[in-house]
Order: sequence, then C-alpha cells, then structure tokens
Amino acid sequence: MSVKKIFKIIGVVACAAIVASGIPGWVINDSDADGLNGNTVVSVMFHVSSSSKEGQAYKKRIDAFNEAYKDKKIKATANYIPRTDGSSAYETALISMKISNKLPDIITFDSPKCSYYAANNYLYNITNMVADIKDEFFEGSINYYNGYIYGLPIQESSAGFYYNKDLFKKAGISDKEISEYSDESPWTYEEFKSVCSRLKSVCSKVPVNMSIGGTSDETAPYLLYPFVYASGGQFASEDGNTVKGYLDSEKTISTFEFFQELINEGYTDDKVDANAFYNGETAMYLSSGWTIADLRNKNYSAFPNGSNWGLLPYPYGEEGCAASATGSWSFGITQNHHQDKAAARELLKWLVNDESSRVITEHTGMISAKKAVNEGRYDADSPEAMLLQQLANTGKARPPMVGYSVLSTTFNQIIHELGRTNNLRDLITERTVTLQETIDKY
Amino acid sequence: MGTISILIFAVFLAVFLGVVTYDLYKSKKNGTNFRIKNCVVGFLMVAPAVLLTFLFILLPMLFSLGYAFTDFNQMRPDEVNFVGFNNFKEIFREIGAGGDMLSALKNTAIFVVGVVPLQILLALGLALFCNRKVRGVAIFKVCFFAPVVISLTVTSYLWVTILSPEADGLLNSFLALFGIPEQDFLSNPDTAMLWIVIISAWQGCGYQMLIFLSGLTNIRSDLYEAARLDGANAWYRFIHITVPGLKSSVLYITITVFIGACRIMVQPMLMIGPYPEGWTLSYYMYMQGTEYSLVGKSSAIALLMTIFIGLVTFIQKKVLGEKKSG
Repeated sequence: MSVKKIFKIIGVVACAAIVASGIPGWVINDSDADGLNGNTVVSVMFHVSSSSKEGQAYKKRIDAFNEAYKDKKIKATANYIPRTDGSSAYETALISMKISNKLPDIITFDSPKCSYYAANNYLYNITNMVADIKDEFFEGSINYYNGYIYGLPIQESSAGFYYNKDLFKKAGISDKEISEYSDESPWTYEEFKSVCSRLKSVCSKVPVNMSIGGTSDETAPYLLYPFVYASGGQFASEDGNTVKGYLDSEKTISTFEFFQELINEGYTDDKVDANAFYNGETAMYLSSGWTIADLRNKNYSAFPNGSNWGLLPYPYGEEGCAASATGSWSFGITQNHHQDKAAARELLKWLVNDESSRVITEHTGMISAKKAVNEGRYDADSPEAMLLQQLANTGKARPPMVGYSVLSTTFNQIIHELGRTNNLRDLITERTVTLQETIDKY
Repeated sequence: MGTISILIFAVFLAVFLGVVTYDLYKSKKNGTNFRIKNCVVGFLMVAPAVLLTFLFILLPMLFSLGYAFTDFNQMRPDEVNFVGFNNFKEIFREIGAGGDMLSALKNTAIFVVGVVPLQILLALGLALFCNRKVRGVAIFKVCFFAPVVISLTVTSYLWVTILSPEADGLLNSFLALFGIPEQDFLSNPDTAMLWIVIISAWQGCGYQMLIFLSGLTNIRSDLYEAARLDGANAWYRFIHITVPGLKSSVLYITITVFIGACRIMVQPMLMIGPYPEGWTLSYYMYMQGTEYSLVGKSSAIALLMTIFIGLVTFIQKKVLGEKKSG
C-alpha cells in the first residue's frame, strides 16, 4: 500500500469522524411533535417505575387518554424514571434533557422544587391554562412561583402522630383526653410533652419516634418543617431569597430548642426506627399518610389485624398556630421546544381530572388532591378523615424557594446536631450564614 | 457547548493526525525495517482507545477546567459567565471561615494520613502471609480479595448495620457483653472518620495484596538462601531483601492508594452524611455540583484537588522512585 493511499484513508476516516460527531446535534428536532401517523405527540415523564402501583395507575390513565383522544389525533407517550434517594437520578435526567433541548412536555416534580424549576425556565406558567380548575384543589397544594401557577398536585400528602392505643391506655391517657387533642383545635406543645412524660414509663424505648434520625434524605425536613410554623417561625422571606433573620429568628430557634428539649428529656432520639413503633416499643410515631396502608395490611405484632392504633395531629406552640405537612409531587408543563402547548394542556388536565385522581389514589392509598374526589370517601373517624381535616385546616406547604435543596440539607444538618451540640443558637446562626451565601448564588 | 466540543474534537483530531503523520515520516526516514502498513495498522488499532479517552477523560477534564473560572449553574446551562478566580477565592475564604469546606479538608487529611499507611501495611502483611507455601492459602487469598469485588454501597450498608448505634446493633451487642454502653460510632466526630479509615483499608487492601504478591514472586529465592547461609534472621531478610525487592510495587501502590484516598466519597456519603464529621473534599464537591447545581465552584474544587494530588504524586515519585544510575 502506498503512502499516498494510506493518507487518503486517514483523510476519509477523519472526515467521517468529524461528520459523525455533529450528528447528535442535528437529530435534535421537532419531529416528535408531529410524528406517529399524523398524531400530535405529547410526552410525559414520571418519577416512579412503571411496575410500581403508582406507575401502573399512570399507565392506565395514559392508555385511557390515548383512547379518548384518538379522534383528536393527540397521542401521549410516557417515560418512567424512578427517583432514587434524594430524587437525584430523576433530576439528572431532567437536566440532561434540558441541556439537549429534549424536555418532555409534562414532568412530575416534588412540590418544594417548583420555584427552582420555574426560576430556571424548566416549568411553564400555566396560570391561565388552569384558571378554570384551580379551585378544585386544596389551595395550599397548588404550586406557585412569583404569584403564578407552575404545577398542580398529583395527590395529597400529610402526616401525623400514629399512636398505640394499648400503650396510651397503660399510661393512663383516656380516650376523652385523646379526643380533645384531635378536634378542630389540636394539642399544644405542653400537652404533647405531658403525654410523652406519662408514656415514658410504659415504653421500652423512647415514647415517640419523631423521625429525627431521618436526616439523610427529605424525611426529616418533610415531617418536621410544620413545627417551625407551629412555633410562629419562618424559614425564609416571602420571595424565598433571604433566610437571614428568618431561619435564625428567635421563634424558629425555639422550634429547634423544642426538639432538643424532647431529646434531653428522653422523649425521643435519633436512633429509634419505625420498627420500634410496629413492635410496640414506642408509643407514637410521626409519619406520613403512607403508613396508614402499612398499619392496615402488614399485620405488625403491636397491631394485629391492623387494629389498635390511631392518628393524632401536629401539636403547636403558644406563639404559633397549628400547621401540618402538605405537598407531594406535582404535574407541570415544561418550557421545551414545543411552542404550542395545546396538546400538553389537554394531557395535564386529563392527568389531574377527577377520574385520574381517583385511579391514582386508589393505587397509592393516598388522599386525593381534588376536593370533590374526597367527598364522602372516608368515614368520619377514619385516619384519612383526620388527615383530610388537618390538610384543610392547617396544611402549610414547605417554603417555596429556589434554593430549597440547600435549605433541606441545612435543616437536616441542624437536626443531626440537636443531640450533640450545647450551643444550638450559634450552630443555627452559622448554618444560616452559609445557607444565605449559597442561596445568593441562585 | 456542542460547537465547543466539536471544535475541541477537531483540534484533538488534527493533533492526533499530525502525530501519526510525523511518526510515519520519521519512521520512514530512520527505520531500517520500516513497513508503513504496520505503522498505520498500529495507529488505527489505538484510534478507538484514543477516541474514548478523548470523549470520556480529556473532554470532561477540559470542560471542568474551563468551568472552574465560570459561575456555571447546571440548571441554567445557557447562562455561563466568566468570573475569573472568584470560585477559588470563595473556597479559600470558606476554609478560613472554618465552615464545611474546612471540615472536608480536615476529614480528607485524616483519612489520607490514616488509610495510606494502614492499607499498605495491611496489604503487605496479607501478601507475606499468602506467599508462604502452606496448605489452604488459596482460600485465604479469595477471602482477602473478596471485599474488593463487593460494591462500595453494599459494604457501606453492611457496616452501617454492624455499627448501628442501637443497643441491638451488632457491635454494640458485642460490647454490651463487657458492660460497655452503646456507642454511636458513625455520628461521633472523634470516631466517625476512624471507622471510615478502617473500613476502607479492609475493603481495598485485597487488591494491593495481589500486587505485592506478584512483586514477591519476582524476588529471586537464591537471595534469601544466600542471606540464610550468612546468618541473616527473618527481620534482616525482610528489610534487606523483601523491602528493596518490592520498591517498585510500593511506589505504585503508594501513589494509587494516595490518589484513591484523596477522592474518598462513597463511604462517608452513605455511612455518615453531609455533616461536619462526614464531609470530604470529593463529597463536598459532589454536593456543590450535583445537589446545589453550582458546577463552577465544584469544578474549582476539582481543579485544586487535581493540582494538589499531582504535586504530591510528583514528590512521592521523586522520594520513592528508582534512582537512575549513571
């Protein structure tokens, strides 16, 4: 083979490599909007596996949508990317899609991340699109950013104190007393501590699992953030850009001092796990609505045949007002390369209509985000009814702020140190300064 | 970003082709048995590896280098501004202020200082043990090497179970037999990193053991026989024959263990979390880039780490490396 010929081959290979390296950029186009036999294709990405119960519900509703919109030539395609710990895999996929300009038309997102996605042009302002249906949802669960709507809730989530009726009875806490704590005006911190002190002698572990050990993910922030509002405190300014003067305010610090007091008094700690409640070693367990189905169906030793337990609301402090956890995952339309959002709007409205809400919550066992779907659905004395009432009366969303991820980590760091630090005030001040510096970068 | 990637690729390709052409030209000019076909085949065979190295190592490195001087937020990939040395200034200011960055630096230093000698000595000890001609030594080799092939995530969770702070945790149950109260091993700032050192050395030493074993087999047995005849005891034989014989292995292992130690992330992330006792430089860098989307700052930390690791590796090579004779 001559040198000339070899150089020719190298030249051809080089040209081919250069051309090939450009191909990925060229294949990004708008074809998926008008593909598949003349249908307008609208894509949606879910945060769960298609084989999970929730995923199966989504699949059913997507199939039903495609059947219903066959004549209107709109076809929905779904992508399932299960969120992992801290939802990072799902978020990484979202970022990659944004960079390659391939965001699906609709995404699901955890509600406190709304501001983050909206501020960074991932989410589309749907205020006008959903003006006719927004009143059908609990107001506290609609996702706002700068006063505009960017997301609608998939289902409702709340939490409360599950309690062991046997242990309460042993501690001399009567049904009458319990009923006073669960009426429209929930119990106070003082009443809560009084119950804990009586339970101490009948529990082989600490009386209450406050999920203080759940600081490796969103568990502790989700379950414990309402206490800040219940103490009269705040996480951040209304626009979510300032934490200094809010997170380190007297009232917010008093929330953490309340947690620390519970630890110091031996009412709770960060070691106790869920099994302690299921085995009857702990009398109370702060957990979300997902626990209802577990307690009913899993036949735990302390609750044979799913009985012997009840649910109490969040307590509140003297200087605050009752507040409870709310906010689950939501649907939002993205700012992708499709300028015409008509098909996405149709699918969004379909996914949050009463029938979809009913199907999804039947699969997950959660409370519907639609007021109408919940009407007459639960017995008045059921735990779901208690959560529903709590949501309607005291539900307060996690702070909507662009830097929510950093706030969540900071909150976890403070909770993690509760049992170790002797100077909580300095710790919170120091953490607030660091948090503010990071938020300023957004 | 796509255009920049293509541009960098074009430059890289031009350099690669230039090297190929120059080499062909030089080989033809000087080579006595020059066959151009063989040279071209050789270059074509390395081309895929070169391409993959470019795509997955060189390109990300160049981007990371560039991002270190920008305010790149991965949520806003279209808005990247040059900020000069601001990211570096912020990192040094954070270290000075004694925040999480200082904790990360301290913990990484503790880990490196602890794990490098421990892992090397452990690996050497195991290699010496496995080098003996005794029955059943192969089983020990498998046992010692087994942790290397187990996922870091699995071993981390395994140790979290063993070190559970609850009274019924495995180690705490054992300590309770001696009347020792339950310990919170991984949340105690005094013991958390110590445990990470022990666990990492345990998991990693099997690999270094194999390298030492291969080094031991290369040492001529007649040297030991001669030493024995001269009356040298086991310690003298170890110091004057084994250690010099393993010098190149020690250099390689020291450098690789040191680099790996500087990058420690998975174990503290899974076993401790983002708290003062759990931060390491890589973990802090990961959190800044992935969780907080601050890629600019994250890249600046990466660049500083690269410079530091490069410098220390250079010094290690100078100190431990073979002296060129003549």
